[in-house]
Amino acid sequence: MRLLIVEDNMQLSQLLAKGLQSAGYETDLLATAAEATAALITTSYAAVILDLGLPDGDGLSILRELRHRRDPVPVLVLTARGGLQDRVNGLRSGADDYLVKPFALEELVARLEAQLRRPGQQLGSSLQVANLGFDLRNRQASIDGEPQQLSSRETAVLELLMRSKGRVVSKKQVEDHIFGLSGEVGSNAVEVYVHRLRRQLSDKGAKVRIHTIRGVGYLIAGEKRDPL
Amino acid sequence: MIRFKSILSRIVILHVIAVAVTSILMSIGLWWLLNLATSNIHDQAMQTQAEAVGRHLVAQADGRLSLELPPDLHGLYSQPYGRYAYAVVDADGHVLFSSQAEAAAIFPVDPGADAVQFLTTRKGNAVISGASLRLEVGDHAVFIQAAEDLANRDVLTDDIVTDFFRNVGWITLPILLILLVTDIAIFRRALLPLRQASEIAQQIGPASTDVRLPVDEIPSEVRPLVSAVNQALDRLDQGFRIQREFTADAAHELRTPLSILRTRLETLEDRRVVSALLQDIEAMSRIVGQLLDIAELDAFAIDPLDVADAREVCSEVAEFIAPLALEQEREIALLAVSAPVWVRGNAEMMKRAIRNLAENALKHTPPGTLVEFVVDEDGTVSVRDRGPGISDAERELIFRRFWRRDRSQPGSTGLGLPIVQRIAELHGATISVANRATGGARFSIHFAAATARRTSASVTPDNSDRLRQP
Repeated sequence: MRLLIVEDNMQLSQLLAKGLQSAGYETDLLATAAEATAALITTSYAAVILDLGLPDGDGLSILRELRHRRDPVPVLVLTARGGLQDRVNGLRSGADDYLVKPFALEELVARLEAQLRRPGQQLGSSLQVANLGFDLRNRQASIDGEPQQLSSRETAVLELLMRSKGRVVSKKQVEDHIFGLSGEVGSNAVEVYVHRLRRQLSDKGAKVRIHTIRGVGYLIAGEKRDPL
Repeated sequence: MIRFKSILSRIVILHVIAVAVTSILMSIGLWWLLNLATSNIHDQAMQTQAEAVGRHLVAQADGRLSLELPPDLHGLYSQPYGRYAYAVVDADGHVLFSSQAEAAAIFPVDPGADAVQFLTTRKGNAVISGASLRLEVGDHAVFIQAAEDLANRDVLTDDIVTDFFRNVGWITLPILLILLVTDIAIFRRALLPLRQASEIAQQIGPASTDVRLPVDEIPSEVRPLVSAVNQALDRLDQGFRIQREFTADAAHELRTPLSILRTRLETLEDRRVVSALLQDIEAMSRIVGQLLDIAELDAFAIDPLDVADAREVCSEVAEFIAPLALEQEREIALLAVSAPVWVRGNAEMMKRAIRNLAENALKHTPPGTLVEFVVDEDGTVSVRDRGPGISDAERELIFRRFWRRDRSQPGSTGLGLPIVQRIAELHGATISVANRATGGARFSIHFAAATARRTSASVTPDNSDRLRQP
């Protein structure tokens, strides 16, 4: 899968290229807004990693032009500017995600994969937390590679948690995901499904934990992180 | 010397004094002129009367004088009427003719006097005023005296003078007062552009340094001041811009090398060294980030119309911080009402403040304990921990930039709470710090409740939980 890195600091872009290569991505490196604009017209990339501070102009202008052409390529913005207005402008201009320097390469890859896994994007369909796997294509959970039987609602909750692994999923998101617009949602319906899912997973030997963040939502993580 | 705060009150008070003095002086002057004019008219009339009497004075063949007055003149001097009187007196003071019964001279005779004399005398309470005319009739020199009793009810001329104040004099005061009101109106109008300029000046803050005062409408006398203020604003604006650019440049110059360093480190083999060095980079990045936050906050102003949902803000911070907390073996909980809690404020800034409070709480709460976010309906947001609490001695210190309780603790910058305080200040919110009865500290920010729903420029909720700041 080919990515475009637009970054004027060659040291950084080469290091990124190396890191991404070991994660399985091919990269093209460009250092100016003009080159990037030209490349994006002729070449179709899986995703773009875009630095905002470029010598010949603001990276946001590239982004606006992309979105103006209705090009849906995922754009992950890198910036040294963590200022409030910069962040708002970046997201309004159509960035899919935003990373403030300095960032962990691991984090960059994780965010990139989250974007590439979105519907219509190119990344494969399997998610993994510890020994728990989830195939997005046939919505099948597996533990240590063994397919597991879960109810459709438990599967829905698990899918949502797995898609957001390492991040909190709000209770509202779970409700919306399971019940959609239809039907009455009992006040503790979500808790009931999460509880059942938790028990199923632990009974079947999954080394994961679904944490409840009271008043906020749920988070799935590998067990090693949780000696509580 | 009285000092006036307002130009207008100075004008009004000085004007009132001027009006009082002018109206007195003007009345006296008018009264004097009127008096002069009426006494002139009276004198002329008396002289004419004396001349008329003189024309009927005839020298007889025997040298004696006779006076034959026509009936109309006769009537004029009749005793019952009593208004006018005449007397013809010779040089020796003998009265030759008189309209009066007692046949006395009206005025004492002075043989050396001018041909025409205007005299006034008193007779009882009455003021008798008239003219004395020297006339040669035949070889006699006689003085014809004609006079008017000014107390007679038919005398109008002095009534004009006495009525002046009652009927005419009072007009001067209202006229002068109208003038005063007109002056005030003119002055207020003249000052209007200045007032408008002040209103515009009030909008100028660190976030709106591009506003300038309008010069076109300003009176030329004040224009140098307004222009000088505008030039001062230009210089300030320049200063702010330099600071903002510096913040952006510094961010770039500091963070890009940190990024390179970090990425380079991550490719190293020895994982133990890597993780130690990564921790150092994390701490360094944190200091850089907070310094830049402080710099940005120093040149930031909240739009007073901004409104944010404190509950939503806390929920987003809790979502953001929960994975970090779990990693550090602490738990996070949000205690809030189910309805939105609208407060005056900028959602992004509030998020930063609450995040700093939460990070502070996580640092001090022991492993296995809970950090709680509490949102009250009145707009108060609290973060509670189970740490050692805050001693009275530290209560002020903790908000000082770069103050740290334990300087050996890595990752602590001493900037977190000052950032919280600065953001609270920008919101006009107060911070309270308390120790919990059950142990631990509670930091509360009291935001002003709002009803309107104009939300501040916020990132979309979909993305905001993934926004990362060092």
